[in-house]
Amino acid sequence: MQQLKKIKFVILFIFVILILVIIRNSNQNLFKQDVKSAIEAIQNNSNMLSPDQLHQLKEQWMVVNIGNSDLPDSIHVEHSIKIPFENLLDQTNRKILEGVDGKLILYSADVATASKAWVILNQMGFKNAFILNSGGNREEIKYKFQPDTTARLEQDSI
Amino acid sequence: MDARIRYSVLLVGVGIILAFLPFDAAQTFQLKSNELLTRSASEVMYFSVDQVARAVNSEDSTVQIIDVRSAAQFKECNIPGSINIPFGDLQNPLWEATLNQKKVKNILYGNGDQTASYTWTILTGLGYPNNYMMKGGLNEWFRTVMLSQYSGEKITPAENARFENRLNACKAFTQINSLPDSLKTKFFNAKRLNQSKLDGGCN
Repeated sequence: MQQLKKIKFVILFIFVILILVIIRNSNQNLFKQDVKSAIEAIQNNSNMLSPDQLHQLKEQWMVVNIGNSDLPDSIHVEHSIKIPFENLLDQTNRKILEGVDGKLILYSADVATASKAWVILNQMGFKNAFILNSGGNREEIKYKFQPDTTARLEQDSI
Repeated sequence: MDARIRYSVLLVGVGIILAFLPFDAAQTFQLKSNELLTRSASEVMYFSVDQVARAVNSEDSTVQIIDVRSAAQFKECNIPGSINIPFGDLQNPLWEATLNQKKVKNILYGNGDQTASYTWTILTGLGYPNNYMMKGGLNEWFRTVMLSQYSGEKITPAENARFENRLNACKAFTQINSLPDSLKTKFFNAKRLNQSKLDGGCN
């Protein structure tokens, strides 16, 4: 008993540290996923779904429109919800996203918005998040560079 | 005896704390999710193609242009002065010093906005400062800079300056991308040497 009194400050110190570590780990506002998994998914294009793939899904899904424009006609309205991108992580919206049963499909006419939202949600642990690709390959180069075959380095500039 | 018990309790305590900490080698985001969302929703991250063209023309040393496309696409054509860090190579420790630094502004670009947006969000999430992206990517560069032409009868000084900026960037782009790879480095070295002579610097 005497010895226990002598070490009570040590125990108290450890207890406080332990509580702080538990609080930190349970903080919903922190990311806990490995970046590598997101990079791999992007490279494999496994985070993208076309409208055709969407309609062939056997499991449940919900389209979250985070853009300013309306959804394409090919998407049924009853399966969609509109959440502005900047309010995506508000407490109410976060609960909605967490409550989605099945796949969570992000849509925005601006592909940059959908891409940023997907990375954020993926790293927060939303493994059911996908991007709806409604308009072909956005990363395809549309112009072909024509080299100037007469271009030469001037002698005095070398 | 007292000291032994004290140390034992301390070790057990530290052991319990360590057990709660994530100790894998995974790279995780350092920013809080709300902070990253706020930054993502702002327009501050964007450079326009005209701003990038100006940086190319002036060889702005406070800017580093980074092409996040594949090495093959980079080889085909790229913005003069840019370096290639393919998206899949982001976690390569070789690029850590380039991507995570406070000296220059990194401007990321891909063909469109998607790959650059992924890259920007990942780098910013990791807590790397000074990363920006060129809005519209190389497609917008081609549309605005490479196909730039003026067809009006009168031109204001502002329009003239913008047009000249695009024209010079277009010339630099065409010239550098028409050269064989072996001459590209030589070209930039020669250009810098000429510039230092004009500025009155020594060789």
